[in-house]
Amino acid sequence: MRTFRLTTVAVLALAALAMPAAALAKPTITLSGSTSVAPLAAKLAGAYVKHHKVRFKILQGGSDIGVNDVAHGRVTLGMSSRDPLPSDPGGLQFNRIARDGICVATNPGNPIANLSQEQIQGIFSGKVRSWSQVPGARIGGTIDLIVRNAASGTQDAFQNIFMGQNLRVAPSASQKPSNGRVQQSIASDRNAIGYVDFNFTRGLHTVPYKGVSCSLRNAKSGQYGGIRNFWLVSRGKAKGPAAAWIKWIRSAAARSIIASNWVPVK
Amino acid sequence: MTTKVAQPSPGLLDSLWETVSKPWTDKRAELVLGALACSVLVLIAGMVIFVFVKAWPSFSHNGLSWFGSGGNVDQQLDDIFNSTKTGHGYDYHLRAWPLLWGTILTTVGAVVLGLAVALFAAVFIVEFAPDWLRRVLDPVVRLLAAVPSVIYGLIGILVIVPFVGNHLISAGRKESVAYVVQLTGASLIVAVLILTVMITPIMLAIIVDALRSVPRGWTEGAAALGVNRWRVMWTISVRAARPAIVAAAVLATARALGEAIMLSMVSGSIGFAPNPLDGITFFFEPTRPLAATIVDRADALSAPPLGQTLYAFAAVLLVSAMFLSLAGWLAKQPLKKYGAGA
Repeated sequence: MRTFRLTTVAVLALAALAMPAAALAKPTITLSGSTSVAPLAAKLAGAYVKHHKVRFKILQGGSDIGVNDVAHGRVTLGMSSRDPLPSDPGGLQFNRIARDGICVATNPGNPIANLSQEQIQGIFSGKVRSWSQVPGARIGGTIDLIVRNAASGTQDAFQNIFMGQNLRVAPSASQKPSNGRVQQSIASDRNAIGYVDFNFTRGLHTVPYKGVSCSLRNAKSGQYGGIRNFWLVSRGKAKGPAAAWIKWIRSAAARSIIASNWVPVK
Repeated sequence: MTTKVAQPSPGLLDSLWETVSKPWTDKRAELVLGALACSVLVLIAGMVIFVFVKAWPSFSHNGLSWFGSGGNVDQQLDDIFNSTKTGHGYDYHLRAWPLLWGTILTTVGAVVLGLAVALFAAVFIVEFAPDWLRRVLDPVVRLLAAVPSVIYGLIGILVIVPFVGNHLISAGRKESVAYVVQLTGASLIVAVLILTVMITPIMLAIIVDALRSVPRGWTEGAAALGVNRWRVMWTISVRAARPAIVAAAVLATARALGEAIMLSMVSGSIGFAPNPLDGITFFFEPTRPLAATIVDRADALSAPPLGQTLYAFAAVLLVSAMFLSLAGWLAKQPLKKYGAGA
């Protein structure tokens, strides 16, 4: 009898703790998808909640997962760093919120002056395996490919922008789970080449693409070609708090947040 | 109901504390502790069932060839992930041998290497080390055993991997296998060495304790017969401590088997099966054990078929861990009659 009362008390106490949280519930916007969009979405959400009664829950997992989740109604908005595909589920609306660049990067000990699209395709598809076959390389020896794994939006965008639909990245490439790990691997290996998001180029040599160096300024001016879009995906037209947030993202205040590290859209 | 729950009066908590802090009757202790122990069992059973239910599609689609080799495992994982986009149903095709082989190589390599080092070091600490050195070594070993694996991983990725890649692997060696696999320094040898450093302190601590608990009468009796300390150590102390040595090896193997973060960082992130026929190059080839693969691919967990494949990896690790405990228990049985130690 005594033990029974003990358990009851414990359960009631727990319930009491849980009650206030439920009572204070604000409308919640849930997001899932691209790991590249997530930092921007978190920044925009952080600035937005200061003045609006709304809560955010941001999950990651890759662009395709974001698109899938929102199509099945599991989240309010999906984050995608790839453009809409014909194979995507119907009835989705892609809202563009920013643009972002992908840099091809090498070790600072091998500062390549320029790469064309054909050269990048040759290197990453494994057709060209030695630096001595790459004009402008300061070193000889093998090429070490450092790439992202399949769930990555950066991988998707690299595939679309640089490789095209018919070429695959060589299977011997080392697939890293995050931009930071790609960055670290390139920085410590003279023979390495890989691709990273704009925000992960410290300590690397960013290779100019088609003669234009990979920088935020060149991306903003529209000269740099390695640019992709960041999208917030909604099922149908966005409604309620989510629509208000997307509208706010187009405001001047939000655009200045975007401009700190990304390219605002006009 | 709601009003009663919303404000727990302090009296309730007080009486709760009172009942808990009073000396327990044996009956209550038995009940409460029994319930705790049983809930652990239920938890483990639930976890095993959950993992196997999740993993089933991957096993059932591939059959026994799941464990075989064929094709590029990274490509297969990519295809499994991308099959959610095509709309033609999920793809489960997988030949996981390179990952299994990587797990076996790193684990066995590190445990064999670590066991040898730990055994000799333990004999030294117990029997030969001068007192001052023993006083330093004892706490250092225990401290090393508690270092989180991610720290070893960081040292590996920032210092050892670049060193191996830039100084130990020649350009000629890299070129000789360039069409099969790239050698960047993140390799089998680095993985095994760091894993050895990680698991040796645990084994060392256990073996030292076991050697110390050998009854003094046994060793002193031998010494009185004129046997030197080295022989006493090998013929009596180490022999008597064999159950503890087995236990140490089992514990270390379990840790090596489940190590994920560090191995994901230093072993190369390529699902490649290092080939012993390659000679020295074998040691510099990259690999990626099961647990590290789960870490590397965890961001794709919500793509159903890849998630189920990762659960299949987890199931294999779980079963290996169970067989490991069983094997350890079996190995200890005939040794038990010599007594002493765990």
